[in-house]
Amino acid sequence: MLIPCPHCGTRPVEEFTFLGDATVIRPTSLEPSSMDDWMDYVYLRDNPRGNYAEYVQHSGGCRAWLVVTRNTGTHEVHSAVAAKAMKAKP
Amino acid sequence: MLRTSALQSVAIQGRFGADKGQPGLMLSVVHPLAIAMVIARKGKSKVLKDALATLKSVNVLWAGPDQYYVQSTVKSETALYIELKTKLANIASVTDQSHGRVTIRISGPKARAVLAKGTPIDLYTEEFPVGKSALTQMAHVGVHLTRTGNDEFTLSVFRGFSESFWEWLTSQSAEFGYQVG
Ligand SMILES: [Zn+2]
Repeated sequence: MLIPCPHCGTRPVEEFTFLGDATVIRPTSLEPSSMDDWMDYVYLRDNPRGNYAEYVQHSGGCRAWLVVTRNTGTHEVHSAVAAKAMKAKP
Repeated sequence: MLRTSALQSVAIQGRFGADKGQPGLMLSVVHPLAIAMVIARKGKSKVLKDALATLKSVNVLWAGPDQYYVQSTVKSETALYIELKTKLANIASVTDQSHGRVTIRISGPKARAVLAKGTPIDLYTEEFPVGKSALTQMAHVGVHLTRTGNDEFTLSVFRGFSESFWEWLTSQSAEFGYQVG
């Protein structure tokens, strides 16, 4: 699998570290009533077949965090953009 | 104060490896070298680029998004650091890396063949022209690679990995015959 890093160009997947789902949103509330939201955010992940957006770090290259969208069934990579540019909140 | 290269005891000058006439490549340690890492502050990418372009007697190498290595063979590490710290105040963060990284020059007709054993980067001239830098891995070691000529490159690695990296580099060079200068 090849990933087109926006900073370095196309590189093999071995240079990258996968963190996981880039679509989950961190809960803002610290109230006990929001425990279910936190449980979802921290532990529960979908395991879809098809397109999936993930946080990926180019750990063996520029070390930047990216959001890579790929098809989990075919490993076709659709896009790789700087997480910073997406203003994604960790 | 006299600086000692981290590779002083292993990078012995001479001719090594296969003996097939001219050596396929030359290896040398670039030492001493003043190195500073420069990272742009928020929203200062353009200002930093312009400021770096005005510096004299230095090499400015890309080292990641909004990040650069500034190197000098003529300025002392302290002089370089203080100059950058002053000129780039509020534009960038500056860290002295002169003792943190070891830089190796590799040149000759087989230089590219040796590098290709370690890095997935396409080293063809059109893809990786003279002056371009890249961050990659070779033999599991993070390497900052710069093309300095048609058949000439510099490799920079963390000091602590340099001896192990040198061992890998020389063993990969042996089949072509190499000269350490
Ligand atoms: Zn990268």
